[in-house]
Amino acid sequence: MNFALVWEARWLIFDSFLVTLYLSACAIVGGTVVGMIVALLRQAGIRSLNLALRAYVELFRGTPLLMQLFFIYFGLPLVSIPVDRFWAAFIALTCFTSAYVAEVFRSGIEAIPRGQSEAATALGMGFFHRFFWIIAPQAMRVSLPPLIGVYVSVIKDTSLATVVGYNELTRRAMELMLRFGHPLEFFITVALLYFAICYPISKLSEALERKLTPTAR
Amino acid sequence: MAFHWTAIPRFIPQLLAGAQLTLLITLAAMALGIAIGAAMAAGRVSRFRVLRLLAGLYVEFIRNTPALLQIFILFFGMPSLGLRMSAVTAGSIALGLNASAYLAEIFRAGLNGVPAGSREAAIALSFSRLHMLAYVTTPLAMRAAWPAFCNLVISILLASSLLSAISVYELTGITNDISTKTFLTFEVYSIAALFYVALNIAVSLLLALTGRLLFPPQSR
Repeated sequence: MNFALVWEARWLIFDSFLVTLYLSACAIVGGTVVGMIVALLRQAGIRSLNLALRAYVELFRGTPLLMQLFFIYFGLPLVSIPVDRFWAAFIALTCFTSAYVAEVFRSGIEAIPRGQSEAATALGMGFFHRFFWIIAPQAMRVSLPPLIGVYVSVIKDTSLATVVGYNELTRRAMELMLRFGHPLEFFITVALLYFAICYPISKLSEALERKLTPTAR
Repeated sequence: MAFHWTAIPRFIPQLLAGAQLTLLITLAAMALGIAIGAAMAAGRVSRFRVLRLLAGLYVEFIRNTPALLQIFILFFGMPSLGLRMSAVTAGSIALGLNASAYLAEIFRAGLNGVPAGSREAAIALSFSRLHMLAYVTTPLAMRAAWPAFCNLVISILLASSLLSAISVYELTGITNDISTKTFLTFEVYSIAALFYVALNIAVSLLLALTGRLLFPPQSR
């Protein structure tokens, strides 16, 4: 074990650690926004739209993220949409995440008793009023712990951007290994860095779940 | 751009072979995952503090680091400790270890879900510890854990695509290979996506059927 080498490369590793955080943040925001829109549109109750949205969710949940990433990175340029490594990773992660987020929100919305929606309708509220003032706040409460769980997966999944050559944390470890050898040292260091971000967030999700749903256990 | 769908059929056998390897890897990873996962779940509910701590550390470390990195550690890292494995072996073991951490949590949640009354009833009927474990706790825990177990099988099936990063020719690996050789990127990835969806549906159906057989719905 030669961790002196890792220490020497610490700024290179730190640099790509920031890149991983940046990509994670972008993907989390993108995935949440798109996922919310999908969940909202599914509430509109338009049959053909529902079918299309379900197909979207099932497609992105039913195929590997890695394949989606390749498809976007190599496929979009063929239809004259230029994507660089960041955009390919960002688009793939956003689509993938949005499918999971949409499902989390959907189950959150379904957990709200129908009476809430009916009462709001009886009070003369329109669809958007009903959704944003009555349904969404309550659904958010139920959805928050699993949502944070999805975010942890996103942070881990940014490592897949390695395969299209985006210079995030895993890629940097790979490069350092190819240049200096000592794969175990570099990979374990990087694994600990991922752990340092993901573990506190996972714990937060668990704590929220205990706090928000005391009856579940 | 023009699509060349007619060129696709001759790659179907290769894709099928890839799908077969994907299934095999999933199966191997699940088998390893169940064995280690059960041991870890037992460790997490053990009476001994050290065991609980070690099992907890293992589970949390694996659940909070990327699977791709775990695969790299096993494939690139282990040879420096003198443990050399083929890509398929290293990848399957890495996936198995990954699955085991999630399974440990699933099993533990199942064990926690067994009502105290069932255990008390078993004690009242003077079951031994082993009998209670075999006839009361495990079956009830398995029934509770089944839906989460099924979800995990699907996510491991999808995660097996990561093995393409260490050049294993499973479904994603073979798709990349065909794509780079023929430039039929769009066509071949679309077909491969369909393969994955089909695999998903088939495995889900199989699991649902198994669930019905193992745990018939009961009236309460």
